Parts: sequence; structure tokens; C-alpha cells
Amino acid sequence: MLPLSPFLVSVALMLVIGLGCLMIKRDMVRLLIGVEILFNAANLCFIAFSTQNIGFVDPFAHSVVMMAIVLDGTVIAVGLAMVLNVYKHYKTLDIRKLRRLRW
Amino acid sequence: MVAQEFISQGINLPLPLFVLLVGGIISPLIGILAEKVGLVKLREAWMVIVSGAAFVSNYMLYQDLSTSEGDIAVRVIAIWGQNPPLGGCLEIDALSIYMAGSVAFIGFLVAIYSVHYMERESRLTEFYTLVTFMMAGMTGIAMAGDFFTLFIFWELMGLSSYVLVAFLKARWGPIEAGLKYLIMSATAGAFLLLSMALIYGMAGTLNFAMLADSLKGAATTPWLLVLFSTLVVGFGVKSAIVPLHTWLPDAHPEAPSPISALLSGIVIETGLYAMTRVLYLLFDPGVFKMPIALLSVLTMTLANVMALLQSDIKRLLAYSSIAQIGYMLVGLASGTAYGVMGTFLHIFNHSMMKGMAFLSAGSLVHEADTRDIGSMRGVGKMMPFTSLSLFIALLGLGGVPGTNGFISKYHLFAAAFGSDLAWLGVMGVLNSALSMAYYIRIMQVLLAPREDGLKVHEAPVLMVAVTFVMAAIIIILGVWPAPIINLATKASSALVEGLSMYIGAVLG
Repeated sequence: MLPLSPFLVSVALMLVIGLGCLMIKRDMVRLLIGVEILFNAANLCFIAFSTQNIGFVDPFAHSVVMMAIVLDGTVIAVGLAMVLNVYKHYKTLDIRKLRRLRW
Repeated sequence: MVAQEFISQGINLPLPLFVLLVGGIISPLIGILAEKVGLVKLREAWMVIVSGAAFVSNYMLYQDLSTSEGDIAVRVIAIWGQNPPLGGCLEIDALSIYMAGSVAFIGFLVAIYSVHYMERESRLTEFYTLVTFMMAGMTGIAMAGDFFTLFIFWELMGLSSYVLVAFLKARWGPIEAGLKYLIMSATAGAFLLLSMALIYGMAGTLNFAMLADSLKGAATTPWLLVLFSTLVVGFGVKSAIVPLHTWLPDAHPEAPSPISALLSGIVIETGLYAMTRVLYLLFDPGVFKMPIALLSVLTMTLANVMALLQSDIKRLLAYSSIAQIGYMLVGLASGTAYGVMGTFLHIFNHSMMKGMAFLSAGSLVHEADTRDIGSMRGVGKMMPFTSLSLFIALLGLGGVPGTNGFISKYHLFAAAFGSDLAWLGVMGVLNSALSMAYYIRIMQVLLAPREDGLKVHEAPVLMVAVTFVMAAIIIILGVWPAPIINLATKASSALVEGLSMYIGAVLG
């Protein structure tokens, strides 16, 4: 049985990094990477909890995480496709230039 | 039994979900066929058939599960054949059927409406495929029996709606709105996954029935509060609760009008449904009563004030949707079966009213070619049928007696007064009065005289017919609400009072 606290500390760190990335970065691709970091924090949290049974590692959490990786991959793929379309319209990847829709 | 489930290769699905998923998979093939053979309306016909079949199969499921005492039984379907605590499962109770039926019904109406509205657009095969998958996602969320199944259908609904918001990609607006929607919703999805991980760490399972058995009534620990906040963030972005709503006023107006009707009418409500289901399964109402009540007041007040300031008709309706989410939260905060009945009653009624408001506004925008309320001056007189149905929808949204909006708001606010939240009920009534201000402004502008001789035609007959059907439902359910109240009562008591049946169906 692995100790839990180092994993939980890294999950908290990854959450802070991911949210920070979403708040301060201006590049849209980096924003998507921030989302990916958040998803990975949640996945790591799952895997860390799955090791807490005495004597075995719960395969259920692993199957959930495998599917979750596929799902967040598809979300990021759609996001990148949208970033391509944004680039076609605005000729920039800077999210702060996208401010025609307000209120 | 044979009629309700599709069993093949060890995959079991309830019929509505099977119809929508297979309909979505076949839809591209139909599209290719339509282009090769030249039968242009084949795709539209397929979409109408699939959504109609989904509604009929929901009704069959309802008939099948009704017991002789008038209750609705709970059925557990193990998707992969293993018994629930091990594999993913779907658990269908009265509430699932109520939500899935609402989804299929408004989906059917929107499908008929889209036939004319979308005919000038290209890439229609993709459009109808995505709409079908979005409906499949919502039906799956309504029927999910464990958190993981819910998450998969949640992402199915999310992915389809991101692409549908950005569907008219030749213009900049939809793309910008779509990217905003995607980034906010994907972040919320990550928080949902985190809350799943926390639940798994606490209880060792994701099955709803087992969670309700072990977590409900547990002492309030800091971890439980962390779990509560991740759940509210995870579900709150999709259901546009106020600090998390900023994507909605961009995304809903920029989508094509049938999609706006679906998004505002049922997608955000599906988010609210999932939140209601999970909160009532995991917590005692005392834990979430006050935070939800505060969010509710914040949501309706801010949205109504912002709606007053809008000059774009679809954007105004989008803000009004946020305000309606605030009213729905009142019932959730009351913590009683009666309040939850009000919430689900308002979910169906709002899907009719807001769906119709967006469809009629879509007809106006389609014909007048502008979304600015000021330049629609006098258009109402040239499109009498469309504006008549728009007026009925707006009066319903404002809660005028005689429409179904009055009935559900009455029950919501009565529930607030009945559970020591009188201030919440008062805020709701005041907000309803405030909201009439902007609804009446639209009516006044549409009926004002116009000098410059602009000629606008009435919308095509199919589009008018759909809005008239919805207007008839709004009036009928406003005058004779007994049938829908009966259904909503069964649905809410299955969630709040019949929880032991829900747990017993899995744990035996």
C-alpha cells in the first residue's frame, strides 16, 4: 500500500497549475493544455485512491481512468479544431483578442 | 420485456437509448445516400423518425414500468451483462423516464422545425448526426445508474453541443462562442472527474444506489464539503448557475435557432437534473440547502438585471434562461419532494416555453434578417402567427396565470414558503415581476407602427405549425395542469421519498 499524501499533494499542485494556466496564459493552445492538466490531476487522484485497498489494486479505477483519458482526448481534439477555426478568422492565437462578444 | 430492451452480443440497452444511438450511427450513411440518390429530404425525415421513435419508446417504457397501483417500478439494466456493483449500469425510475420523455419530445418538435430552418445551410448530415447524439447523451444522463456512465453520456452531450454551437463556422461569432463554451465546460468536466475520484476514495464505488446507501446521512467532514463544491462547479457550468454562467449568453444566441431551442430548453436542464439527482443521492438536504438558496437568488437577480440591458433578442432570451435556472434552484433548495416536483415541472414547462420562444424568435430572425430588437419594430404585424406564439411563450416565461409557467412558478415559490425559506420565495416573486419588464418590451416593439415600408413574409407553414403545437401545450397545461403535475410528482417522489426502492433495486 502506497502512502496517500504525496499523491494528494501533487493533485492539489496540478489543480493550482492548471487553473493558473487557464487564468494567466494568453495562448489558446496553452489554455487547452491547462484543461488537460486539470483532467490529469483528476485521473491521478483516481489512481492514487485505487491503491488504498489492502492486498490488491482496484482494477475498476483503472478502467474508469482509461475511458476518461479517451474522453478528455476527444474534448481537446475538438478544442484544437476550434482553435484552427479561430485562427482562420482572427489571424492570432491570443485569447485576449477574442473580445467581440461581451455582456 | 423484449420490446423494451435490445440484447445482442452481451450489450443491453433500453429502447429509447438504443434508438437514438443507432439512429445517430446510421445518420451519416443516410446522408451519403441522400446525396448520391438525390433524395434531399431523406436526412431530415430520418431525424424526425428517430426522435419520434425515441419518444414513442419512452412511452412504451413508461407503460412497461407502470405497476397496477399506479406507481412506477425501478429497473436496473446491466449494460455489459455483469451485475451492477461491478459493471456499468443504467437505472431507470420515474424521474429518468420523465427527463428522457421531455428530451425526446422537444427533440421531435425541433427536428420538424429544422427541416425548413436549416435548408439554406450546408453540412446538414453532420448537423442531424450531432443533434441525434446530443439527444442520446441527454437520454443516457437521465437513465445512468452509476457516476461513470453518467460521465460518458455527459461528455457525449457536451462534445455534440460544442460543435453545434460553432456550427455556422463561416462567421466569427459562433467560433468565438464555441471556444469559450468548450474551455469552460471542459474545465467543469475535469472538476466532475475530480469529484468522481473523491467519491471513489470515500466509498470505493461509483454506483449511485451503493453511494446513497453508504454516503447519505454521513457526518459532514471537510472532505464532504470539498466534494460538494467540486460537484457544484462540475455540474454548475453546464447548467449556467451564475458565477459560472458567462459562456451561456454567448453560446446560445450564436448557435442556429433550433439548437438554441434545444440548448436552452433541455441541455442546461439536463445539467440541473444531474445535479439534483447526485445531490439528493449523496447528501441530506440540510447540507446543501443554504448554498443552493444563495446561488439561486444570485442567479435569478443577476440574470434578470442583465436581460433588461440587452438589445439582441436571442441574447435576451439566453439571459432569461439563466433566470429560469434560478427559479428551478428554488425547488432544489427547498429540500422537499414538493419543491423538487416544482423543479421538474418547471423543467418540462420551461423546455416548452423557451423552446418555443427561441423557435419563434428564430423565425423572426430568419425572415427579418436581424437580431436587434430595435430594428424589429413593427415586424410583429407582418408575421402575425409567429408573433402570436412568441407572445404566448413570453407571457408564460413571465408567469402570467393561464399559462403553464404560472403553475410551475406557483408550486416552486409555495415550496420555498413551506420550508422556512420565505425570503427566497419573495425574491422569486419580485424577480418574476422584474422579468415581465423585458418581455413586455419585446411585445411593444413588435407591435409598434412602422413607416419605412419593410416587407416581411410569414414563416413557412411547418415552422408555424411547430410553434402552434407548443403554444397549445402551454395554454392547455396552464388551464388543466393535472396530468403533468401527476407525472412530476411521481418523478420527484421517486428521487426524494422512494430512495429505498432505488437502492433496493441494485442491492436487493
